[in-house]
Amino acid sequence: MSALLSIRGLSAGYGGASALDDVSLTLAAGETVALLGANGAGKSTLLKALLGLVPARGELRLDDVELGPLPTEARVRHGIGYVPEGRRVFPGMSVRDNLEVAGLPAARDRLLDVERVFALFPDLALKSAEHAWRLSGGQQQMLSLGRALMGRPRLLLLDEPSLGLSPKLADEVFAAVRHVAAAGTAVLLAEQSAARALAVAPRAILLRLGRVVGDGPVAALSEEAVREAFFGG
Amino acid sequence: MAALQLLVNGVALGAAYALVALGFVLVLNATSAVNFAQGDLVMAGGLLAAALAPLIPLPGIVLLPVVLVLMAALGLLLALAAYLPLRRRPPVSVFISTIAVGIILQNGAAILFGPEPRAAPPLFGDDTLHIAGLAVPEQSLAIVAVAALLIGAQQWVFARTQLGRRLRATAQDPEMARACGVPVTAMILVTFAIGTACAGAAGLLLANRYFVTPTSGGDLILKAYIAVTVGGWGSVPGAVAGALLIALFEVGVSSVLSYPMALGALYLTLLAVLVLRPQGLFGEAVRRRG
Repeated sequence: MSALLSIRGLSAGYGGASALDDVSLTLAAGETVALLGANGAGKSTLLKALLGLVPARGELRLDDVELGPLPTEARVRHGIGYVPEGRRVFPGMSVRDNLEVAGLPAARDRLLDVERVFALFPDLALKSAEHAWRLSGGQQQMLSLGRALMGRPRLLLLDEPSLGLSPKLADEVFAAVRHVAAAGTAVLLAEQSAARALAVAPRAILLRLGRVVGDGPVAALSEEAVREAFFGG
Repeated sequence: MAALQLLVNGVALGAAYALVALGFVLVLNATSAVNFAQGDLVMAGGLLAAALAPLIPLPGIVLLPVVLVLMAALGLLLALAAYLPLRRRPPVSVFISTIAVGIILQNGAAILFGPEPRAAPPLFGDDTLHIAGLAVPEQSLAIVAVAALLIGAQQWVFARTQLGRRLRATAQDPEMARACGVPVTAMILVTFAIGTACAGAAGLLLANRYFVTPTSGGDLILKAYIAVTVGGWGSVPGAVAGALLIALFEVGVSSVLSYPMALGALYLTLLAVLVLRPQGLFGEAVRRRG
């Protein structure tokens, strides 16, 4: 498979403190990959660096487009969708407006995509006119995921989608992630719950202290390597 | 009957104040920056209308689109010069830079136009209509109608269009808006353009009845600030309602007592609102869950 996403020698940090150090990896079109590691391993920073939300050095390519010089909004237009940690829906906007704001320029395409999201998350359809701050945590997570799909991404970045959700709601969110992946969207899933992530991703990348310490098919990763990524050696 | 007459006058004044406060709150929401030049931008709009009037000897309603476009361009300049280069600095930098812009506008206006009061042309005419025993100046009706039209159009854009969604998303969470593909810098420029065009429209509306001098902006920025504080910091309907309340208060109390007493009472009321209801009368209902 040809690489959809190619990262070489990526380093990133916050105000001089390094959070990612010389990270290299590739992701094929339609592939689902779990990004595993403890708190502070650099998972969120990696996703933000891909979007240009933190200063980063290194080579980032999506297909044949060099992402480095592009601002965040241009990277999104090139096919990256982002579901941030903590959901970050626009609280004072309606559910429908939250979706439409991230949609394609043509109104007809946007309306079609809103209907697709509503088909995936029927709960949102029932609340389409409600302000997003009124939704439950699970509904906000669905809205955040639906919003990321509105740009018809080829690569979906998910940051801790199960955080703060009940097991039942987390199951629903992960079922939706499976559905998105099955439809051919590549998914890079940062998740603290290794069991959940590995249930949807056939491949995992282990991060520890900002460095890649393991990368391969889930079946080939030893339990020990996963434990080491989370708890240290 | 006298009370009704005061109400008509107060609503006309409040409609113009509402445009000032609206422009102020739009920029505040989009950038978290307090634009202390807003009052001087109103003054600039009024003087611009007064200066254009001899060149375009037509009613003010014809001048209005010209003033809106020129003031929107001034808003873009303001954003490019006084906001965008400082937006990653502490908020006090923008605070100071907008004060500096206000002073530059005041002194520039004094050099160009001198200190004499000037008047903009009326929107339609100078006549007074007599409706059910009330003497209603045409200009008052026109101010209310034009302000309502501009505020309504703006609300329509914000509520119903993709541009409006993008502007609101930028105001609520700029980083997340970027991550949704919204060109946030362009949205900030558009917000400054709209906010400054509002100030220009208010300047044209006010400069016919109340005249305009290079220093008349200072009083207006205070009123915009009070309107937004009383209405609810960041609330657009609150800013409009706050502006109407201020004008009704000013007109009502000054008719019974005096204008200085009315101003004193207004600031006392502001203090009372801050103590008793710090979130303002129409405090934002937005909260985060989960």
